[in-house]
Amino acid sequence: MSSQHQSAHPVLGPIPANSLPARAGIGLKAQHYQEILERGADIRSIGWLEVHSENYMCAGGPQLNWLTALCERYPVSLHGVGMSLGTAGPLDAKHLKRLVDLERRVEASHVSEHLSWSIAKNAQGGGDYLNDLIALPYTEESLDVFCGHVEEMQDALGRRVLIENPSSYLRYEHSVIPEPEFLLEVAKRSGCGILLDVNNVYVSAHNHGFDAHAYLDQIPADLVGEIHLAGHSQTVIDGRAILIDDHGSPVIDDVWSLYEYTIARLGPIPTLIEWDSNIPDLDVLLGEAAKADRILAAAHPPEEVRHVAVG
Amino acid sequence: MLPLADLQSAMRDAALGGDMDRLSGVIVEDGFSHTERLSIHRGNTTILLTEALAATFKVVHKLVGEDFFEAVARLYIRAHPPRNPCLFEYGHDFPTYLASLPQLDGFPYMADVARLEWGWNEAFHAAEAPVLSASDLAAVDPDDYAQLAFTPHPALRLVASPYPIKEIWAVNQCGADDDAIVDLDEGAQTLAVVRPKAQVEVLELSEPGLTLTEYLAAGERLGNAVERVQTAVPDFDPASTLAVLIGGGAFSTHILQS
Repeated sequence: MSSQHQSAHPVLGPIPANSLPARAGIGLKAQHYQEILERGADIRSIGWLEVHSENYMCAGGPQLNWLTALCERYPVSLHGVGMSLGTAGPLDAKHLKRLVDLERRVEASHVSEHLSWSIAKNAQGGGDYLNDLIALPYTEESLDVFCGHVEEMQDALGRRVLIENPSSYLRYEHSVIPEPEFLLEVAKRSGCGILLDVNNVYVSAHNHGFDAHAYLDQIPADLVGEIHLAGHSQTVIDGRAILIDDHGSPVIDDVWSLYEYTIARLGPIPTLIEWDSNIPDLDVLLGEAAKADRILAAAHPPEEVRHVAVG
Repeated sequence: MLPLADLQSAMRDAALGGDMDRLSGVIVEDGFSHTERLSIHRGNTTILLTEALAATFKVVHKLVGEDFFEAVARLYIRAHPPRNPCLFEYGHDFPTYLASLPQLDGFPYMADVARLEWGWNEAFHAAEAPVLSASDLAAVDPDDYAQLAFTPHPALRLVASPYPIKEIWAVNQCGADDDAIVDLDEGAQTLAVVRPKAQVEVLELSEPGLTLTEYLAAGERLGNAVERVQTAVPDFDPASTLAVLIGGGAFSTHILQS
């Protein structure tokens, strides 16, 4: 590990833990734009909204106008699914520019991306986008590639970003660094924060047979700017179940328990309910958000927890 | 140890339907074979990109049916994976791909319907711009009309077909009458897709009207453009085409060129 990476990036501000309220937010879906705007003040359970950045990188049109209108009422977070920070080779400069333009336009509260890759360089010198978030081999090579890209993204945006722990369906024989260690090293070298997806920890723990609590215990409170919760599904192959992170159903009870455990340990942190397939009625999403809000409201800030523990 | 770039290239091939054996011994098996694990990723890529195509080409999806669409999308995705992660930009050559399929020989309008849907999609995501209205032109002396030149609105797209694709498209929209019948012999349609306000709209032009629109969109002066069209169609009267274009919001600004 080279020496210039020993400390966090000096020019960037703090982990953006305070720029979103420590409440539940929901993933914004096109099906719900109009209802959210029309119901307005009636919807008190929306603390904030998150969108997939790539859906709004258009030059103009109704979608951007909806988003702009919603930005006037709610804090908005940009969650990227296409920067592919884990791809060997340079980042897509055009895509990075589009993200910067969008971030300026919506004055995003958070900007986040994934600890994964989704673009493979092709023979034409471009990249093929697989529309999937694929786990990296956790090696020194991956660490250098990934940290370099997070730094490039942060430099372009002029702010810290949050990096989300992945859900995964495979591991590599040549992986040598445990995932939480890899993620913490990325945060240390690049100065980024962590977007802790509790459902992803649950899914990966099941798929790879590790202890979800032990994983969560390694993540320090001062790095976590945001939490994600979602539903997953199960596929059975030859009588054995593998969990698939499809964001198409309610958060399951085991994940709620893991979330309560996380909030008790880390204190209240902005929490997103994600739902990306089989999109339900808005009220179903709001019900999930209200559940997260109750857990957040019951939580003590981490200082109090420490105080109680010491006392 | 496989360098990261080589690993990603091998996994791209696997996700796009290619050989998985290169990754044998690279993926931890642990209860599932490497092909079973890679198949999950192949499924993600195929299903999610098919959904993206189906969202853009809704009418084609409805016309060919779920099974056929999935089969065609799978082949298309493997031959033409997206080159950037903004999926509203994915599928520009899907209409051409449809036109190349012998299975669709009996449905010669299908690729043109796809072209209309792609035009609609591009218009929907185009930049905001002022819309030139008839009143903006009121101050122009009719003697100077020949010197008028226009900038097209960024949403303007032109689509021509030997088939009545606007009707086919319209009767297959969500909420349209399911029993509506379109007569394919109704004839050719030449269309302009516009977005004067928040809504995308489809305007009908005559064939020479479409040619005129192409010339004007390329920045030609009105006088020259009309003359060129009249070389081929001597009795062409531009008035109705201009009324449709200006009324529909096809242009953004005008200037008088001396």
